[in-house]
Amino acid sequence: MRNLIWMVLACMAPWAMAQSYFGPGETKAVQGSGAKFADALLNMSADQLQCSLHQNRLPADATPSFLAAQKASIQYPKGDKFMGDWQKGGAIFNNLQKANCFSCHFGSPANLGGDVGPSLEKYGLQRGQSEAVQRYTYEVIYNAWSYFPCTVMYRFGVQGLLTPEEIADVVAYLLNPASDFNTKPALGGKR
Amino acid sequence: MRWTGLALLLLSLLGVLAQSVPEDPRDEAKRQKQLLLQTSGILPSDLIVEQGKDLFYTKRGPRGVSLEGCDFGLGAGVLQGASVQLPRYFADTGKVEDLDSRIRTCMTQLQGFKPEEVKRSEVVPLAFFIAAQSDGLPIQVRIAAPAEREMYELGQKLFYARSGARDMGCATCHVSYVNRRSGVLPFSDVLGKDASMSHWPAYRYSNDQAWTMEDRIRACYGNLGHPQPDFYSPVPIALQLFMAYQANQAKAELPGFLR
Repeated sequence: MRNLIWMVLACMAPWAMAQSYFGPGETKAVQGSGAKFADALLNMSADQLQCSLHQNRLPADATPSFLAAQKASIQYPKGDKFMGDWQKGGAIFNNLQKANCFSCHFGSPANLGGDVGPSLEKYGLQRGQSEAVQRYTYEVIYNAWSYFPCTVMYRFGVQGLLTPEEIADVVAYLLNPASDFNTKPALGGKR
Repeated sequence: MRWTGLALLLLSLLGVLAQSVPEDPRDEAKRQKQLLLQTSGILPSDLIVEQGKDLFYTKRGPRGVSLEGCDFGLGAGVLQGASVQLPRYFADTGKVEDLDSRIRTCMTQLQGFKPEEVKRSEVVPLAFFIAAQSDGLPIQVRIAAPAEREMYELGQKLFYARSGARDMGCATCHVSYVNRRSGVLPFSDVLGKDASMSHWPAYRYSNDQAWTMEDRIRACYGNLGHPQPDFYSPVPIALQLFMAYQANQAKAELPGFLR
């Protein structure tokens, strides 16, 4: 019986969370704006809710627990092999439909980069290939919110946009000194 | 339509020239607009306005009436200054409506079209024509009726909401990363300097596209793989009321002319 109560409560949790962002009238208005749209808005996850409520600026006292929860969500590739196949990683990095990294980051030899995120030009030559840098790069791609709460960068691993192995491929594309990313000039010249 | 062809040819030539000199797309759009007016004497958006004018005054629909009897907020048939006061609450429908949804209301209730017969290819030119009658006027939306307050608050929440597989949210780009570029164009300062609601509906010359703000909002979601809100639904209306209120007093350029 107790299990049943918990199951019912668990099922209601996303609904309850959305309720705390949108009032009853607002919920109805969102529901009247398209089923799939309403689904996305009314099933906001707990962390999305926090970012929404604080308009993307988490208060200092909420940040440590937020970061800890984001960090805990990270799954690592088999055998903690953070660097995969850089060529596969390049195909992912430079694909608009896939990871679309170049749209925001400068440094790709294949696509002109944007400036929403920091420049990654010659990332592997700048940062080296230490285990710490590999892990950090992997974690930022897997879940950018574990370092930068509520930032615009997609949480590729958490949201299932890339598998851990695909993320390791992108890490290799950025870090491997033999990768095109580090041997060829970035498209668009120096900034 | 011959004009459109000529205009497009000119545009593509100008586009090639423009690419060699990176500059603010806002200044670039102003210059291109000026050049087009000097060379061909007409803008592609003027043609869309004319098309909307024809649709507006023609007796159409099952009831065979024009849209002259439609009240866009300032009384039946009063168009000047109407679109800069939208979205607003309409007592006859009991709803807050934007330009798109009010056009649809009149096409269904006045002209007798069925909702599914209301085509975007007619609503958009009509919106261009009606908006053009407010060119140069300041944006003046009010938050007075309870329904307007509710919609404003919903719009604000939607603007800052994070949702979907890419944690999408309007403010994430259009507040936090204003003027930064993802792709070709910098993110506009929707709530601030750009007062985006002051120049929509707009014509985008880089891809010969005529859009209302409903189209624009839907594209924002769609481009990020987020499910889109339906046309004429509360979500795009709420977002517009929130954005328009932030743009109050900004001088309208209608229809807008953008890159």
